[in-house]
Formats: sequence, C-alpha cells, structure tokens
Amino acid sequence: MFYRIAGQYKTSYGADYALFPIKQDAWLLALILVFAFVVFPLTASDFMFRALLIPVLIYALAALGLNILTGYAGQLSLGTGAFMGVGAYACYKLITIFPEMNIIGAIVLSGFFSAAAGVAFGLPSLRIKGFYLAIATLAAQFFLLWLFQKWAWLYNYNASGAIQVPNTQLFGVTITGAQAPVLAQYFFVLITVCILTAFAINITRGRIGRTWKAVRDMDIAAELVGINLMKAKLSAFFVSSYIVGIAGALFVFLWRGAAEADLFDIQLSFRVLFIAIIGGLGSILGNYLGALLIVALPVIIGTVPAAVGLPISSAMVEHLNTMIIGALIIGFLILEPHGLARLWALMREKLIIWPFPH
Amino acid sequence: MKMTFKTALLSTILAAGLAMPAFAQEVLKLPNMSYRTGPFAATGTPHMNGQRDYMTMLNERDGGIGGVRVAFDECETGYNTEKGVECYEKSKAEGALVTQPWSTGITLQVLPRTNVDAIPMYAPGYGFSAMQDGKTFKWAFNPPTSYWDGASMIMNAISDGDLANLKGKKVAFLHLDHPYGKEPLPLLEKLAADHGFELLPIPVGLSEMQNQSAQWLQIRRERPDFVVMWGWGAMNAGAITEAVKTRYPMDQFVSVWWGAHEPDLKLVGEEGKGYRALSWNFADPNAKLMQDVKKHVVDAGKSQLNQGAGEFESTPYQRGILMSVILAEAVKAAQEHAGTKMINREQLRWGLENVKLDEATLEELGATGMMAPFSMSCSNHTGHAGAWMVEWDGTKFNKVSDLLSADRAVIDPLVEKAAADYAAANQPWQMNEECTQ
Repeated sequence: MFYRIAGQYKTSYGADYALFPIKQDAWLLALILVFAFVVFPLTASDFMFRALLIPVLIYALAALGLNILTGYAGQLSLGTGAFMGVGAYACYKLITIFPEMNIIGAIVLSGFFSAAAGVAFGLPSLRIKGFYLAIATLAAQFFLLWLFQKWAWLYNYNASGAIQVPNTQLFGVTITGAQAPVLAQYFFVLITVCILTAFAINITRGRIGRTWKAVRDMDIAAELVGINLMKAKLSAFFVSSYIVGIAGALFVFLWRGAAEADLFDIQLSFRVLFIAIIGGLGSILGNYLGALLIVALPVIIGTVPAAVGLPISSAMVEHLNTMIIGALIIGFLILEPHGLARLWALMREKLIIWPFPH
Repeated sequence: MKMTFKTALLSTILAAGLAMPAFAQEVLKLPNMSYRTGPFAATGTPHMNGQRDYMTMLNERDGGIGGVRVAFDECETGYNTEKGVECYEKSKAEGALVTQPWSTGITLQVLPRTNVDAIPMYAPGYGFSAMQDGKTFKWAFNPPTSYWDGASMIMNAISDGDLANLKGKKVAFLHLDHPYGKEPLPLLEKLAADHGFELLPIPVGLSEMQNQSAQWLQIRRERPDFVVMWGWGAMNAGAITEAVKTRYPMDQFVSVWWGAHEPDLKLVGEEGKGYRALSWNFADPNAKLMQDVKKHVVDAGKSQLNQGAGEFESTPYQRGILMSVILAEAVKAAQEHAGTKMINREQLRWGLENVKLDEATLEELGATGMMAPFSMSCSNHTGHAGAWMVEWDGTKFNKVSDLLSADRAVIDPLVEKAAADYAAANQPWQMNEECTQ
C-alpha cells in the first residue's frame, strides 16, 4: 500500500541503478531528515541530545567506517577503538598546538592521522586474511592504547593523563567544550555525519566500492580480473580509518568533553563491531539501526522502571538491561543473521508486493 | 501489539516527564552516581550503602533535613565514564541539587559542565586535588581532604614527621593507571626532588588489577623501602595478596584511604598484620550515629548492606555514612542561611562553602572520633581535615597515629598553579569573583 510501485516505470539503465529506485524510499529518507533537522531540535531535551541522539550518530559513524572495511572490503578489524583514539588525540593536539585553528579544519585533518595509522596497520592484510588479520589489528588496538597511556606529549603532560576539550568557536558559536550549547553540537555532529554518509554511499556504489566488494567476495578472482589488491585493500583501510578517526574526534570533542586512554580500549572496538554486525555488514543503513539498538535502547530501557514507578534499584536496572539487550541481540541474530538492515530490506520487499503474496 | 506496546512506553515516559515537576517541590533531590556493578563494585558498594543509609536514616528519624525528605536516587555507572554523561544529564533534568560523580574520570568530564550549568559537584575524598581552590572551582567541592593532602600525610607518616629522613631511600608508588591513580604524582615528584628520595611509579593497568605478578616482581627486584598504594576496586585485594605472596614486609606497605577496606585484608588475615592505610575516618560501630543508623535503617530492613559479612562495622561503609553527613550538614547550613526549606543549587553551594564540622557538631551528631573536624570556606573547598594511620592487626584496623596533617606550604602553590592551568585551558572559565578571602 505505502510501497506501491505501480506507475513508476524505468526506461533506462540509469533509472534502474538510481539511488532511490522507488520514490517512496526518497520520501522516507526525507521524512527522517525532517525529523533529524527540524522535529528533534524543536522538541528534544538536553538529556535526549546528550544521552541519545548525539551518541547514536557518533557510534553510527564509527560503525559506518568499520563497515566499509569489514562489510564492503571483507577485512576484519578489531582496532576500531584505537583508530578512534588516534582521531581524538590528533584533534586534541591540533587544537592545542594551533589554538586559532578552525575546529572543522582540526577534525578534517585528524581523520588523516587515523587514516595513516589504519594504512600502516592494514599492511599485513596484503599477506593474511580473516581471523589472522583480526589478530594483527588487535595488535594495533593494544599498541596504540599503550601509546596513548605512555606518551605524555599526547595529553600535554596533564597530571591526570586525560585530555580535556577546550572551548572553541565556529562562526561565533561555541561548538566544543563545556560552554557549547547542545543544539549547536547536535547540528555539528548531524551535518558531519550526513556529509560522510553521503560520501560513503557514493563511494561504495561506485568503481572503488565495487573493487572492494570483488576483493571481499573472492580476492584471487578479483586479482585475475585485474584489480590491484594492494590498492583496493589499503584504500579500504584508508577510507575506513578516516571515517573512524573523525568519529573518534567527534566522540571526545562533541560529546564526552574529556577522555582518558582507557576509553579507547578493546571494549569500544567490540561495541562498534557489534553495531556493524547487528546492523548488517555491507550496508549503510544498518549502522544506524545497529547504533539505535546498542546505544539508544539501553538508555531508554533504563528510564522505564522509574517512569512507571517500579521500585527497582539502579544496579538491578543495569543488570536487567544487560540481560534484555543480550537477549535482543541473540534474538535478532537468530531471526536474521544478516542484520537489521537485511530485516528491513525483507520488510520492504514484502511491503512492495503487499497485499498480494505473489 | 508492537504498536500498542510502543505507545504505552511513550506515554508512560511522557507522563513521567510531566509528573516530575510536581514531585520536585516536595523533596530535596540529592542523587548519587553509584557503581554496584563492574570491576570496582567491591569498593563501590559499601560506600554507596553508607551514603544511602544515612539519608534514609534522616528521612526515617527526622523526616528528612529540616523537615523536607531527601530523595537519594542512584544512577548506576559501573565506573564507566560513558554512563557518567548520561547520569549527569538525567539528574540535571530531574532538578538535582548536587552531582556526585564518584569517579575521577567522570569528575574530569563533568567538572567543566557544572561550572556552566551552575550545579554543585560534591566529590568527598576524591576528584581533582586542585578543586581545593574555591575561587577557581566555584562549584566543585572535595571535602574532607584531597589526594594531594593524603599523599603529603602518608609521606609525613612514613618519614616519622621529617621528610629529610627519606633521603636516599626508595619509595615505590603502586597506582591504578587511570586519572585517579595518577592524581598524586605531581606532588610526590616534587617531594622526591626536594628531599632526595627516589620515587618509583609502578602503574597497574585496568586489565592487570587482579594479576599484579609483573608489578610485584619489579618491587621484589627493586626492593623499595616503602610501597605507597593508590588502588581501587579489585586492585587493592590483588596487591595485598601479591604482597603477602612475595613476602614484602607489611609494615612498609601503606595505602591511601580506599585501601582501608576490611574485606581485602580478611583475605590474608594474620599475614596482613602491619599493613597500614591512611584514613580520614575511623570505624566506630558503637558511636551514637551508627547506632541510630542501625536502629532506623539496618534493623528496619531498609538497608541494602550485607549484614552477614560485617559490612556495618567496616571502614568503607562508615566512610559512606560520613560522606552523606557532610552533605546533609551543608544542606542544613543552606536552609538556615536561606531561610527556606526548599533550597536551590546556588543556596546549596553556599551551604557547602559554610560547612562547619567542629568537635561540638560531631558530638551532637554522635560521630566523635569517627572523623577529624574541619570547615570549608569560599576559597577552601576541601577543608583539609586531618587523617589517621590505621593498622591491620590480623582481624581489624586500629588507629596507630595521632591526627596527621598535610604540608600546606608544599601543596598550596601546586594547587594554585594547577587551578590556574585548568582555568586557562578551559577559557572562558567562570571564576568566583565575590570570594575575597
């Protein structure tokens, strides 16, 4: 009914390969964007912004970066947390060394640092695959974390070993630091995420994205048809780590406000990996769905007992939360091992032919 | 079905949101960020229980503070800084009068925000040592004593009052590799440079807390004259059992107050004899204050504490009680000064700055000897209460020193510099211009 495609004729190959082959998809996206850009800013509270919307966007961006590497190019990585850290520390150093630097410039540049780190640790991917590569990227995770702890220059010799985000301005509005209004931070994150998502959609649909998919599906065959494996794999590491690095910079600068090295430990890598897997590997939409499930749902569940007046202690809520989220993850994976994005794709197909089964 | 569930969920959340302001008129919201889960739950839980039970006791015995009931809501963080942001925003939206971050990491995150949002931050016995400077940290309080005070007192105690005695000696500083553990390093480094002893920082990573064989191997090799421990959670128990295993002389092993934690010592019992910790509180289950808590809360079944394990008699539980005592005294002071029962955040800030816990007040509270008297002012947000050395005799801790005090002449310049650096790094920073002391 909603997804009726009657009357939408495709008269060229171009139309068949369009970003939105069905008009309703475009409408749906427009609706979501209206919510993100207009409805939420008008209605949401500080709590909703800081505990739900901003973290969901940032985690989705990190998962998007990882998804390019793991979902599109087929290179398993467990170093996401550390690459986020590289982005965050690079942004911090840039802002403190050049205080007059524009925050956009610092964030854009900090992505290149993590991209460089990603490429360096991606080199083993030319020789090893699968779980062995995962272990190589695990080395990146541990090494970089150790570096964040021991290299005092990175945190400007702060006594606590933590980085503190200074107040910086953009067009006269404070964007980072404690003085920043949450609405400005939200829009900054939202616009960054939108731009990078558009970039990711385009790059994965184009020539580069197809070489990645060819490498993922069978690297020997890809090499035989003339794809340069080194270029394909390293470019995937570069683009992926770039996006992850920016997510890391946003993570600390636009959300947390302060960070110690332990923040970027393996738990963070796993969290982002889970978002990507549960959302759906090889999909852009999946990252957002996964982030909603992993990041936003616990927060929402946590507020339920208090809201309905159940006298449950907060520690118990936390335990219940872990159990519910765990059960949901297992449930979703049994229901649809290819992730939430695939679940949505099936629903959409059914909606298109609904109410006729054939 | 799915839709109805969602609508129900949404409507309850909405209804709760609407109902919130109605409640806010009747209670004093003094929430706490707790961690009864995760790797630090072992030390967290008794403190949380203590803090909670004193507030419950006030509600039961006196009907709250000044006749207004206290809403002591907990927000579970699991010591995770990510949850800290969520809990802070949540309590802020609910109209909390104070924020208690309960972790140096969360403190660092929340500190700049409290200065903008104008919410008092209460970090008893932890947090950032430079918070002492009330002119810079207008909204942050860390009574009764700071980590730098603690480090100074420990050094004074192990050198028998004269740091010159440490010349040529070696002091290992076994600490959690986390903002909290690194906090006393600047002071210790300065003391080491001034008095010619060798400082050997030995960090323990979060993943190594329970297996410190590498650290203790290093201690065995280096043979330091003293080991000073800045540990937390599972790390303390790990260090104490390793120390026993490697036969490190217990009388050279000293911890900050979080190490005065009976369950950790009970693991080694007799073999832990001689272990010392600096503690700003001393457990006295027979004090009138504790008896009141027992009568109104514990025996009434309103406490979450583990009665079988002797938690009521333990130092950390009673430390938690005292943390709430200080906060409640601040609320009382604020109510008297403002002439209203329902104080706001600014009034509570005034109350915290004017906490006067002298001997007479402690006597009146029934807490004589449980902690040292202190008072705060607009320029002094720590209060600098003294602390005692407590020593493990195989079954319990005993006071083995007079009231120790920190070396102000060394700490104050460091505080001044750290506070100035902090304000400079966080420009524009709101200072307390009215304070002229």
